[in-house]
Amino acid sequence: MADKAVLERVAKVTGRVLGLDPSEIEPGSNFIFDLGAESSQSVELVLGFEAEFDIEMDQEQALAVQTVSEAAEFIAKHLS
Amino acid sequence: MSMTTTHIATETTPRDDSVHNGLDAIFRPSSIAVLGVTNTPGTVPHDIFVNLLSSRFNGVVYPVAPRKKHIAGVRAYDYVIDIPDPVDLAILVFPGAVCERALTQCVEKGIKAGIIISAGFREVGEAGKVREERIKAIAREGGMRLIGPNCLGVINTESDVRLNASFARAMPAEGRISFLSQSGALCTAVLDYAAGKNIGFSKFVSLGNKADVGEVDLLYYLANDPKTSVILIYLEEITRGRALMKAAREIAGNQANPKPILAIKGGRTAAGAAAAQSHTGALAASAEVCDGVFEQSGIIRCASIEEMFNTAQLLADQPLPRDERIAIVTNAGGPGVMATDAAVGQGLKLASFEPATTAKLKKALPAAANMKNPIDVIGDAREDRYAAALEAVFEDKNVSQVLVILTPQSMTNINAIARTICDIKDRYANSGKTLLCSFMGSKDVAPGIEILQQHRIPHYILPEWASDAMWNAAWYRQWLDRERTEVQIYPVDHKRAAAVIDAAPDGYLSEAEALKVLDAYGFPVVEHALAQSADEAVAIADRIGYPVVLRVVSPKILHKVEVKGVILNLGSAGEVREAYCGMRDHLLKHITAEDLTGIMVRRMIPVGKEVILGVNRDPVFGHMLMFGLGGIYVEAFKDVTFRIVPIRESAASKMVRELRTSSVLQGLRGEEPSDLAAIEDALKRLSQLANDFPRIAELDINPLIVHPAGQGCHVADIRIRLQKNGVKAD
Repeated sequence: MADKAVLERVAKVTGRVLGLDPSEIEPGSNFIFDLGAESSQSVELVLGFEAEFDIEMDQEQALAVQTVSEAAEFIAKHLS
Repeated sequence: MSMTTTHIATETTPRDDSVHNGLDAIFRPSSIAVLGVTNTPGTVPHDIFVNLLSSRFNGVVYPVAPRKKHIAGVRAYDYVIDIPDPVDLAILVFPGAVCERALTQCVEKGIKAGIIISAGFREVGEAGKVREERIKAIAREGGMRLIGPNCLGVINTESDVRLNASFARAMPAEGRISFLSQSGALCTAVLDYAAGKNIGFSKFVSLGNKADVGEVDLLYYLANDPKTSVILIYLEEITRGRALMKAAREIAGNQANPKPILAIKGGRTAAGAAAAQSHTGALAASAEVCDGVFEQSGIIRCASIEEMFNTAQLLADQPLPRDERIAIVTNAGGPGVMATDAAVGQGLKLASFEPATTAKLKKALPAAANMKNPIDVIGDAREDRYAAALEAVFEDKNVSQVLVILTPQSMTNINAIARTICDIKDRYANSGKTLLCSFMGSKDVAPGIEILQQHRIPHYILPEWASDAMWNAAWYRQWLDRERTEVQIYPVDHKRAAAVIDAAPDGYLSEAEALKVLDAYGFPVVEHALAQSADEAVAIADRIGYPVVLRVVSPKILHKVEVKGVILNLGSAGEVREAYCGMRDHLLKHITAEDLTGIMVRRMIPVGKEVILGVNRDPVFGHMLMFGLGGIYVEAFKDVTFRIVPIRESAASKMVRELRTSSVLQGLRGEEPSDLAAIEDALKRLSQLANDFPRIAELDINPLIVHPAGQGCHVADIRIRLQKNGVKAD
């Protein structure tokens, strides 16, 4: 389980890239199916997370992540 | 005019979705939801939605685009279940990873059918395969029919539907041809090609991965579609071979309502040549297999898209020809000769005119004109000469198809001639004759071609293309009119063959066992027995009569000749004894005494022509029967023909006669013809044997020695490989 702070920052980046209010974003939200991310926005999300957390992620693995909480867990692993 | 005209299926059939197996929801939906639409032009999820709008679909379209208010001016929904009204068809353009969730909601919404455009399934590997299995299960449990995934989409041009559920660039014109393709990329190329040639479509389907709906379902759907006259298929992978053959035979062979099927088969059958150890197995991966399958099913096999559409135009717009007799009317000698060469080379025949036709031509044409077939109306011909020549051939009972050739010369009034041809077409609409044109050239003839196309007269830039189309149509007519024969069942000793096959493990039968099987099925096997010593070999030879042959029998030796395991033409006891001892000594340098089962003594078969008969079990089509010439050289000659088991009597006869080199068997340079009836008999027995024993994976009778007519044939060598799980293919 990713920590709450990481989850909040993931929601913040997601809201900024997808033009949504972070409060509308649930941990279980699917970037594509629930939040309407298009393929170009998925790449933008990965870049946004890298910048926010100052990390470098494997693009293919990062794009396979489906939900907000999965993204937070994926990032948390990088941070640790 | 009282000739019978066979027009390709055009009658109206009442629509009943139980007949259409749930596919009407795909082709004739009242409402559509597109799941995963975006606002980004130039992407599939956007363009497919815009295509639906711009094709003026006669129904309601709902975009499902999470967190978007509208798409292309249409109110969007976050989820398909939010749509307040019923939905017939769902088009999924979401990435493959979320299709499972999207499809689950479609089932919840009660949607009857789906088209999954998205990629990311079986074509991407193991994870994709698992994903595809899951969506299949969701659709099956939810009672949904599915096209795709990984496809271009579906088009129905019918004026009361106008459905462009695809990301093709444009909606094609309405027509009577339906096209099914396993390649999505080919679909877009074909649409553009057809648009350039003013060819319209009725239905257009990109099959994709065929998770649910495949070519067999669609063939039956199109068979019942009153707006489809001709069905075209591009296939790469056939998954239900027998079912495809059955469907094709029923649809193309429906005497009351024949609907031709034309196919291009890309790639080869699943039987890998590399894995096969028999000649038949190695050759079974060849294009001839498809030729055999298509021949048996009445499918017109085309080598190219060009040939396919050339033929489809003829079949869609003209009556099916009665036979292969054609007339050519030309204003240029050279193109007339080219057309004749191409036509005759294909198998068409120049019609011999009735005396009345020749008299009419003599009266109407200048003396320098050629009144015989091909009719040359001479370079300065205007529309009156074309009219006179065409009237004459349309009145002639010996003519079935008419090809009009025009080259643009300074005095040629192209448009007037085109209009004259259209007039002739209308006047002889009930003649049952097929009319095609070739206005050769490009710029000058273009307006004339347009006139012809407006009147639905098939036009071909090259007369050779017209010949291809005429031949394919004539072949289809021959197939429809073919002699209907039965599968002959011989009285055989099934029990004796089963005793050998059921007791044997997977792998090769010994020669003695294989001969027992053949003997039980009435094949011409010569007398033989296994010897364990030189004395025994001599005793056997004395009993069966000289000359004899010695042949090694060992599970370790597959290719006998390579280890000097065959000695021919031994005429005395002394020769047999010496040969036996020599062979045994030589063999024991290669194998142990335990591996030497014995040496077979067999009566020598008289000289004859060497042919091969074989069986190979294809994972898609099941047992295939092969016939070819050449004995041990069969793989070099590659002159073989295939049929799916069981074969009918007519197929056996055709197999023996359709090889490129079959004239060798019919007697060349004063040679006596071979016993073709004996070969046919052996082919039918082999078909019965393969059909009775699914465990036969490969079988070669190579060679079968064929003697002159009336003297039969003999099995000279036999190899049978057994393998379990010989389930008959669907």
